[in-house]
Amino acid sequence: MKKFGRESLADLSAGAVFLATGGGGDPYVAELVAQQALEKYGSVDLIDPENLDDDAYVVAIGGVGAPTVSLELLPSIDEAVNTLRAFEDRVGRKVDAVVSFEIGGGNSLIPIVAGAVMGIPVVDGDGMGRALPEAQMMTYPISGVSPTPAVATDYQGTVTEFHTKDIMEFEKEIRQCALSSGGMITSAEHPMTGKQLKAAIVPGTVSFSIELGRLLRKYRGNAHRIYEPLAELFSGSIYGDLFHLYTGKVIDSSTRIVGGYDIGAATIAPFDGSGAELTISIKNEYLAAEANGKVIASVPDLITIVDYETSTPINAERLRYGQRVTVFGVGCPSFYRTQRALEFVAPSCFGFPFEYKTIEELNLSN
Amino acid sequence: MRIGIDVGGTHTDAVLLEGRSVRSAVKTLTTADVSTGVFNALEHVLSDSGVLESAVDAVMLGTTQFTNAVVERRQLSEVAAIRIGLPSGNGLPPMIAWPEDIAESLGGHTYMLKGGTLYDGRPVAELDHDEIQSTIEDIKSKGIDTIAISAVFSPMSAEPELLVAEQLRRAIPGANITCSHQIGRLGLLERENAALLNASLLKFSDQVVSSFGEALRDRGLECPFYISQNDGTLMDAEFVRQFPALTFASGPTNSLRGACELTGLNDAIVIDIGGTTSDIGILQGGFPRESNIVIDVGGVRTNFRMPDILALGLGGGSIVSEDGLSIGPRSVGHDLVREGLAFGGNTFTATDLLVAANKLDLGEAGQAVELNPEVLASGLATIKKMLNEGIEKMMPSSDPLPVVLVGGGAVLVADKLEAASEMHCPEHSGVANAIGAAIAQIGGEVERMVSYREIPRAEAIEQISAEARTTAIAAGADPATVRIADIEETTISYMAEGSTRVRVKAVGDLASSNREEPA
Repeated sequence: MKKFGRESLADLSAGAVFLATGGGGDPYVAELVAQQALEKYGSVDLIDPENLDDDAYVVAIGGVGAPTVSLELLPSIDEAVNTLRAFEDRVGRKVDAVVSFEIGGGNSLIPIVAGAVMGIPVVDGDGMGRALPEAQMMTYPISGVSPTPAVATDYQGTVTEFHTKDIMEFEKEIRQCALSSGGMITSAEHPMTGKQLKAAIVPGTVSFSIELGRLLRKYRGNAHRIYEPLAELFSGSIYGDLFHLYTGKVIDSSTRIVGGYDIGAATIAPFDGSGAELTISIKNEYLAAEANGKVIASVPDLITIVDYETSTPINAERLRYGQRVTVFGVGCPSFYRTQRALEFVAPSCFGFPFEYKTIEELNLSN
Repeated sequence: MRIGIDVGGTHTDAVLLEGRSVRSAVKTLTTADVSTGVFNALEHVLSDSGVLESAVDAVMLGTTQFTNAVVERRQLSEVAAIRIGLPSGNGLPPMIAWPEDIAESLGGHTYMLKGGTLYDGRPVAELDHDEIQSTIEDIKSKGIDTIAISAVFSPMSAEPELLVAEQLRRAIPGANITCSHQIGRLGLLERENAALLNASLLKFSDQVVSSFGEALRDRGLECPFYISQNDGTLMDAEFVRQFPALTFASGPTNSLRGACELTGLNDAIVIDIGGTTSDIGILQGGFPRESNIVIDVGGVRTNFRMPDILALGLGGGSIVSEDGLSIGPRSVGHDLVREGLAFGGNTFTATDLLVAANKLDLGEAGQAVELNPEVLASGLATIKKMLNEGIEKMMPSSDPLPVVLVGGGAVLVADKLEAASEMHCPEHSGVANAIGAAIAQIGGEVERMVSYREIPRAEAIEQISAEARTTAIAAGADPATVRIADIEETTISYMAEGSTRVRVKAVGDLASSNREEPA
């Protein structure tokens, strides 16, 4: 069992922004809350999924709603803790460990807060390995874990229970709950046994995110030199290979309709003006990258954009005209490349008119 | 006629403009009391040009005093911070994550009250009047008369902040109050921080405004004066008394606006070369391109509007390596006139390269510099390479733009840069900051969260634009010249369809009865 303390917080958060592929919002306020929890209650245990008892009772906890709203309705330690307590009350038993929905963005930190206060371990892993917008895209439901019993609490402490076992229905209900509760709620859901969790989780992502954040910190201010160490880190991980997709500056950002979805698009051009432009399609996350009319990476593989000078990851709300950036692509955890998972996360699920091809296939074949 | 003055850390520059032409320009030293330096600068341009005091319509000042006060933690008042938002946000109180020394300077008085609104306008909680009353009593009993008020989602619904401010004014006559919706954007902590910093500067601001006014009157000027803010627009004296924090980072903005005025170019790359750095900014439509990142002022996170500036460690005093292959970021700064080779010193600086290449004549102050031709060639190539790379990083598109050189070190660029379509180093470029202040316009900005489902997009933008115009006119803009300069829309992800944050900026020329219109 590893200890997770304040000293790793900034690294976890920085790695999480990279893995959020443009989504997940600004984790600054979640980081402040996690810092308070760790200061007050001490370090939290980070448990390897393999070391969980098969009959341990684990629940996934995190925020659901608009990241922008959490910049006004600030999160608090109480909200995470009240949610977990309300969940325990409803199911009538104690929770042995908590786990994250998604390692990307602020949701990587909420289980840390709950775990620290309640004195229970946080599982080293998550249900996405990145950030994705909707509940049915998590590995937990795709692996057959029921989303309910689940509870959500809002800033007032109002508790809402969910009973549907249908994940699409659950997504609809919880989204509606978030909207009517002011835009942001905390949810405890997808309860599972240790055995179920081992089959469903993307393992080791919390530790990986810390390592990734540490590397980003080490190479801050030097996006030129960051490619090799990054590639090495990813090649030895549950993710696939890292590809340097592009370096240039953002010359346009606009919105276009793709298959009925409102998709934003950013165009990136080379510094010297020669060569093809890169277009990134955005719906909360960076979903697809196209150059010369050809897709060179797409969801569920990871596309992330970092600042050219500082190698700091840039989330989609902050991407703007004139920024100088480097674009990386990374293969996703193999789970998402199975037929069963692609039903929920393939490009067509976001309205794109093309089939998923792996980033290796797209970038190594020619 | 107008006078522009830039009060910097070391120099106070002044220009006298007649229409668009510079009648007189001067660089003087900034004095400890600031107003003497301002007086001296005024004295110089007036007597040099022979212009009558009565012919001056307005004086525009750019100043770094308020930024410096925050950075150096001096002249800051104690402030009571009132946040309206409970039950949300109780874990992250006002001044969280502030450096201790500045939080202490403000006294650490924080109050959190029930209330505020949600993104859709519903209340977070009802205001509790007893709670408000006891808070006011407590503040009063502590003898605090400076207050910053923030409320959840106040940029879209300001009533809770306004209501508490009103009650405070009644209970504490003459209280200095800043409401967060007046100064910041979405992002409660950053907006609240901006309001707190602003409130802490209110008393100092009163002094600064009075002393500028005195310096003007002492020199026989009866005209109004204005201070430039970070978006290149002006505030009148009364507005500065209320919003001193809006002057943060106005320096780079003034130099970009000055470059625009001196060349007539609305779209250009501007390089402000000083002794230590070259600051590269972009003029878009005559105004600086803004940065989107969170801005740290003296260790406090804010979301002020700031120009997007790339600072390279290359200035006249930058130290050159023996082989000429690397320059800066270390600089001898002001000691150039003693330490540089061309001044008889022992340090190899960027200025020495220019002297050795016979591209710069320092006159009697300098002496010849002999360099190995290879070192000289590689040194000059390094300067060009650094600036070309910097320009390429900032260029908004692949089409080369004209480059305008301003600042004291502009001479460092002796040849055309490949990344530039053309080069400009206009006369008076050394006082571009003061010129930028002199020509600044009056602006008004309004930000709202709207649902395009409830109000059609065109109608919503129309409404907000009308408010922005009104704000600009209220701030002193000539109604006939007010135009919408910028509309920014941000959709809030995952929210009900059509929930969008809209920000509109209106700008116009300064309204003045007898001012000569620019040609």
